[in-house]
Amino acid sequence: MKSSGLKRQLGWLYVLPALLILLTFLIIPFLMSFDYSFTDYNILTPWSKHWVGFANYINTFKDPVFLESLKNIAQFVIFIMPIQVGLALALALIVNKKRPWNTFFKISFFAPQVVSLTVVSILWLYILNPDQGLLNGILSVFHIKAQPFLTSPKQAMFTIIGVSAWQGAGYQMLIFLAGLQNIPHSLYEAAELDGANAWQRFLHITLPSLKPTTIMILTTTFISAFNLMIQPMIMTQGGPQNSTMTPIYYIYRTGFTDRQLGYASAMSVIYGIIIIIFTIIQRKITNAGGDENA
Amino acid sequence: MHKIISRRKFHIVWTTILITILALFFLFPLVWMIVSSMKPESQIYSNISSIKAFLPGSFSDWGKAYAGIFSRFNVVRYIINSVFYATSVTIGSIVVNALAGYGFAKFDFTGRKLIFGLLIALLVIPGTTLLIQQFQIAKTIGILNTPLAVILPGISSPFYIYMFRNAFADIPQSITEAAELDGASNFKIFWRVLLPMTLPTIATVGTLSFIGSWNDYVWPLMVLTNSDQFPLQVAITNINSTNPVYMNQVMAILTVSTIPLIFVYIFFQKYLVQGMGSAGNGDK
Repeated sequence: MKSSGLKRQLGWLYVLPALLILLTFLIIPFLMSFDYSFTDYNILTPWSKHWVGFANYINTFKDPVFLESLKNIAQFVIFIMPIQVGLALALALIVNKKRPWNTFFKISFFAPQVVSLTVVSILWLYILNPDQGLLNGILSVFHIKAQPFLTSPKQAMFTIIGVSAWQGAGYQMLIFLAGLQNIPHSLYEAAELDGANAWQRFLHITLPSLKPTTIMILTTTFISAFNLMIQPMIMTQGGPQNSTMTPIYYIYRTGFTDRQLGYASAMSVIYGIIIIIFTIIQRKITNAGGDENA
Repeated sequence: MHKIISRRKFHIVWTTILITILALFFLFPLVWMIVSSMKPESQIYSNISSIKAFLPGSFSDWGKAYAGIFSRFNVVRYIINSVFYATSVTIGSIVVNALAGYGFAKFDFTGRKLIFGLLIALLVIPGTTLLIQQFQIAKTIGILNTPLAVILPGISSPFYIYMFRNAFADIPQSITEAAELDGASNFKIFWRVLLPMTLPTIATVGTLSFIGSWNDYVWPLMVLTNSDQFPLQVAITNINSTNPVYMNQVMAILTVSTIPLIFVYIFFQKYLVQGMGSAGNGDK
């Protein structure tokens, strides 16, 4: 339908509020991070803001904490993907079958999702307390000696991975479940007539049919894993020995707590670009996977 | 025949047992949180390696930690704050993003393609890396320590605009034309006729916005300094670091702050799966 020129421009009025907010809180901050990153801007001394060229960028590559944080987030991403997504798939397969107490199981697996990350972090801080925590209490029943968990540089990140997977798997279970229920029943019946056993049916019908769902879940988990911050912030403050320091948390600490806006912005830019590159790759993969939702 | 049935039954029994153990693995922290809020602190520690850790204390102690936390801290205030912030973000997000989605779907204004392309490009910008720059903006426009600072950044999202645009684009043009023939104004068509037709999108965007805002922690922590304005998520970390810290009272406030979300998830569960794609887009 052709409408008059003036009426067409009415569209601007409708999109304007959203655009103004995005401009203020996304686009301008994004541009600011580039601007600040070339200066020694410090919130405590805003009057002395000098152009320092690439000094901040060069310093990031000499900053052992920033490099450690990149290593840590790589560790988190690499382990959370198979653990959480694998767990979610297993849970979905479990509740997809008709069995007694099915609703109870579904609710149990999903329950941690209802709790906020803040609550999860505080709760697990008490559970994981090495001296008086619940988990070491349970382990002692099985005669397993007390573990340091979050207080050990070796175990801390794996503990955070475990807690994150515990919380996140239930939501992805629901997505997998939706995918499973979309598989036509006739496919299974036909395979059964052909004499395929349960394992073969899983391998040749279930898994291929779940491919778009799995790709979507894997890629979204991948990208959101880069944003890890609240768990280390509340549970370990990035310690012990920076073993759970993550880039987002380090940027926040440098820019907000230590007020070094210039240096923090350089890290924002570097880490932002890393995430943007991975996100673009994610989109390519997702689109190739034949899923139009992402 | 009899043997096959009993083998089947055996199979059902042991898989059910295994799955129950798995379910308990997911539930035990939450059960412990709730029962620990219903007993004196000393009992939490003395019960820690026995089955009693998962049983509440004697009936007379059940409400004591709750009474304690409500009297020591202005918990009601925090709840009201959280409800206010989350509701404002939800309504704001539905209105602002629906307006934009409608604009992109039904008007061929100058620059539409360019702006929409830009919007899709914005999806890849990770908002979490920009927290400190966003803070500088909030400071510059003078909204620090006001509810506006908490609410405003959360009500516009490229992803929700995209969802609404698709929802409006799916509505046949004939419906708009029929309403126009009836003499309805442009905004009236949007508000009375088209918006109600996007109800599933409204529910999805609303649910995700509410949960996102309710759970938001870092941003309100940054922009608010007056504890009277704290939402629950900030208040509970504050409570957990304000001496003296009583574990049973901490568990009570953790439980209280979770209850509203239980209802949100029960009533709006089906809309969450539809909104899955938002998880990876770094929207705040």
